[in-house]
Amino acid sequence: MTDLLAHLGRWSLGFFERLGRGHMFLVSLIAALPQLAVQWRLVVVQIWSTGVQSLSIIVVSGTFVGMVLALQGYNTLVDFGAAESLGIVVAKSLTRELGPVIAALLFAGRAGSALTAEIGFMKATEQLAGMEMMAVDPLRRVVAPRYLGGVIAMPLLATIFTAVGILGGFFTGVGMLGVDDGAFWSQMQASVTLKEDVFNGVIVKSLVFGAVVCWISVFEGYDAVPTSEGVSAATTRTVVHSSLAILGLDFVLTALMFNK
Amino acid sequence: MSRVCIPAGNARGQGWATGGKFLILCRHAQPRSPTASYQSAAPARGVRREPRILSVNVPANIPGDDPLVAIRDLRFSRGDRLILDGIDIDIPRGKITAILGPSGTGKTTLLRMIGAQLYPEAGTVTVDGQNVHKLDRKSLYALRKRMGMLFQAGALLTDIDVFENVAFPLREHTDLPEAMIRNIVLMKLELVGLRGARRLYPRELSGGMARRVALARAIALDPMMIMYDEPFSGQDPISMGILVELIKELNHALGLTSVLVTHDVAETAGIADYMYVLSGSKVIGHGTPDELARDGSAMVKQFLQGLPDGPVAFHYPAEEFTADLIAGSEA
Amino acid sequence: MKISRSIEITVGLFVALGLAALLMLAMKVSNLAELSNGGSSYEITARFENIGGLKVRSPVKMGGVRIGRVKAIGYDSQKYQATVHMTIESQYDKIPTDTTFSIFTSGLLGEQYVGLEPGGEETYVKDGDEISIKNTQEALVLEKALGQFLYNKASSGGSESSSGGEKSP
Repeated sequence: MTDLLAHLGRWSLGFFERLGRGHMFLVSLIAALPQLAVQWRLVVVQIWSTGVQSLSIIVVSGTFVGMVLALQGYNTLVDFGAAESLGIVVAKSLTRELGPVIAALLFAGRAGSALTAEIGFMKATEQLAGMEMMAVDPLRRVVAPRYLGGVIAMPLLATIFTAVGILGGFFTGVGMLGVDDGAFWSQMQASVTLKEDVFNGVIVKSLVFGAVVCWISVFEGYDAVPTSEGVSAATTRTVVHSSLAILGLDFVLTALMFNK
Repeated sequence: MSRVCIPAGNARGQGWATGGKFLILCRHAQPRSPTASYQSAAPARGVRREPRILSVNVPANIPGDDPLVAIRDLRFSRGDRLILDGIDIDIPRGKITAILGPSGTGKTTLLRMIGAQLYPEAGTVTVDGQNVHKLDRKSLYALRKRMGMLFQAGALLTDIDVFENVAFPLREHTDLPEAMIRNIVLMKLELVGLRGARRLYPRELSGGMARRVALARAIALDPMMIMYDEPFSGQDPISMGILVELIKELNHALGLTSVLVTHDVAETAGIADYMYVLSGSKVIGHGTPDELARDGSAMVKQFLQGLPDGPVAFHYPAEEFTADLIAGSEA
Repeated sequence: MKISRSIEITVGLFVALGLAALLMLAMKVSNLAELSNGGSSYEITARFENIGGLKVRSPVKMGGVRIGRVKAIGYDSQKYQATVHMTIESQYDKIPTDTTFSIFTSGLLGEQYVGLEPGGEETYVKDGDEISIKNTQEALVLEKALGQFLYNKASSGGSESSSGGEKSP
């Protein structure tokens, strides 16, 4: 029994110690961000490697998610004779939930893990220590551009995901299932609001998810044990913790934004 | 004979000399001669007017009584293990000083202390008159620009090629025009014999070549000293020979102070001016290579001659062997 | 640090694509297109006994064509009437003053909307006009309609056959 308590105590001490280190890291990371204004090109490269590189998986997944939504939504709605409301179902679920959440989960798996692995590898091969000895702050030169690039890329990816998802739903619903074209769009427009669904749903959620996923990713990389096992464990932790954080935060954000 | 040349009153030059960044451009790759080194500075390429010398960092390397690096009573432990226990080391200016010792005796830790990447529990490290562990971030970074360090695996940035790796510190710390960066980089690569490899990526280099590139990068900003972390480990005899020669040449041609941390006795003894032997977290002997070979203690001799057993035990501390075996069979 | 031009270009394209997607969400999916059109419209108010499930942003239709949207819903506690403020696009400026405003439901579970049945007057409603309760028809509330139906059924059933299970109160 005391063993169990001791174990629990050790675990929670370790947890809070790490959480504290993560926050201190975040503070120094944010302090390093303004200096990127003069080295904007570093950020552009990172937008390329996190954003552009994730584009294909985002577009393909978005299309399929939209198509499946339309198929499922149609089968349910048609029983109530409300198949024209398909546009609402597809657009509301994508803008409010599926767009930002699935895009963020994919982003964590595709870009977040790569960030952790890259920074962890640079640490393991002494590249970060080498920079420090060249009087170059790795936080500013390596970590901050990656963080900012990811934070910028995430809302763009989520927006693209949502848009292609709606198009996918349109092609399935209108093209294959024969829902009326005009009704699909007009009902959607009647019910989707710019401020609540598009702005709060897609933009704010994906900004929050992007900031958290990128924070976890660069911290895990920077904090990784500098060996092959250490880096691979850190990469796994990034994906697991990011996914949990996304889903948990999604609940909180939904409760804050859409609670009537 | 390192010179810091900042062209003064040159409108063209001021463009790249802004922001308080110092530039070190002028170097003669000729044998070191202390008397000649203060007389002239050749104008760097790309600078139109005769540059006026505003500051000179050469005095850092005049051999003298005052050592460049002074380590006093340094203590450091990791967990329960004492890594360094009351270390005193002086690194004289303009010489090659070697710190020898078996693997795992905290030699690399010592180098990181000098670079202030690690902080000691007690004791001081003074580099060029400054206690490195008391410096604020800005002064520490200014000091590090004058210290080069060669990491064990080279620590080259893997996503950029050889040229960009050597150019990296220049781009980070100076606003030099592209043409001048190119000239400096090619000059440094020529010194290590890898000018032709400038478009290769680090993954395409052998271990020895990677270290030479890292060496070119370490001297890109014309530091006052270079610290070598195990430069010879895992090298074939030819690249080992090249590295030994390079370290010696660079030290003499550029008037550097070199600190060599290694366990390769034979190569080091050939080039080092002074050696310290570390074992069991203490300095167990120091002197010139000859003095050590002649007068060293049993421990020093064991290490220098590479004897498998002696005062430094072959066995990691353990309980008695037979007792251990019996304990295993009983379990 | 040199970066290749192709990276800059693809990042530019990526950002443009993201903005285009946002534009699509704003214009095609949400209601921005109409909001931005807000200048060329006029407002009228109609009074109803009961608006049922009508909501802000519900459509206003004439002959099945959407001509505007419900802007706000209020309640006049003096007259015990609901007030519905509507925004009508200014191109539909020929709504006769004796037009009937009704609240309909599209489909069994569909949304509710304000339907206009034009009258024969030569004068047309203009900005700020109020449609009196005489010209409006309240929403059909299902429970009310069902209750009415059952009541009628019961009373007629009771008079025709004495064996009817229900007794009129």
